Amino acid sequence: MEGRDLLAYEIYIYVCYSGRSTGEMEEQVETVGKAFVDHYYHLFDNDRPSLTSLYQPMSMLSFEGQRLEGTENICNKLNQLPFGQCHHAISTIDAQPSSFPGGIMVFVSGSLQLPGQDYPLRFSQMFHLIPAAEGNFFIQNDIFRLNYG
Amino acid sequence: MDPDAVAKAFVEHYYTTFDMDRSGLSNLYQDNSMLTFEGQKIQGNANIVAKLVSLPFTQCKHTITTVDCQPSGPAAGMLVFVSGTLQLAGEQHGLKFSQMFHLMPTPQGSFYVFNDIFRLNYA
Repeated sequence: MEGRDLLAYEIYIYVCYSGRSTGEMEEQVETVGKAFVDHYYHLFDNDRPSLTSLYQPMSMLSFEGQRLEGTENICNKLNQLPFGQCHHAISTIDAQPSSFPGGIMVFVSGSLQLPGQDYPLRFSQMFHLIPAAEGNFFIQNDIFRLNYG
Repeated sequence: MDPDAVAKAFVEHYYTTFDMDRSGLSNLYQDNSMLTFEGQKIQGNANIVAKLVSLPFTQCKHTITTVDCQPSGPAAGMLVFVSGTLQLAGEQHGLKFSQMFHLMPTPQGSFYVFNDIFRLNYA
């Protein structure tokens, strides 16, 4: 893991263990949410196979209504999407602490530019992040939907 | 009960209640519930319902396009992800929106909304 990816994880770990007061919890959750989103879409757009590091055997993805479970199935699906280079541009990020201890809900909207397409596709996506044994986060739940015009 | 059926039943109940009488949403939230509404963060049943009731329209109608659900983990919670259109009285076109709910079970055997995030989808 290099450069900005390492920085993003350092932010996760710092925020997770820094033991802030309730008042700062909100900011903490926002910071982790934004760092995660940045990291996720950077990987997606530049090195899709390495998304495997963000999922675990119990992870679930609903992609345009299709349900997949487990790292291998999820990553096969994402790697097989019928486009090469793509670019996600993020419009909004909302984050809240989940009921799961240390867990975070992240809700994203943005647009996805595919090569050769005149116009980007608008999408919404939610992630439920759970602290992993190694001290970072993994994606327990992932739901993706295009927003048709 | 089938999780998909539970999710659809919740969505129907939520938006029907919203469209008919927003104050009736009160029994779907608790003190630890959180709502982020177009980026504004609100915590707790009373504050959430006050926000929803004070939205600057009386008549509205939600039409749901997609509902996705997944179990959220060992505590038997459920995630519900909705997209649809919100028609306000007097407006020519409906507003497109996405919303996610994290439902947690109550001791009485129903669900309440723990996390709620709402965003309009601008063109």
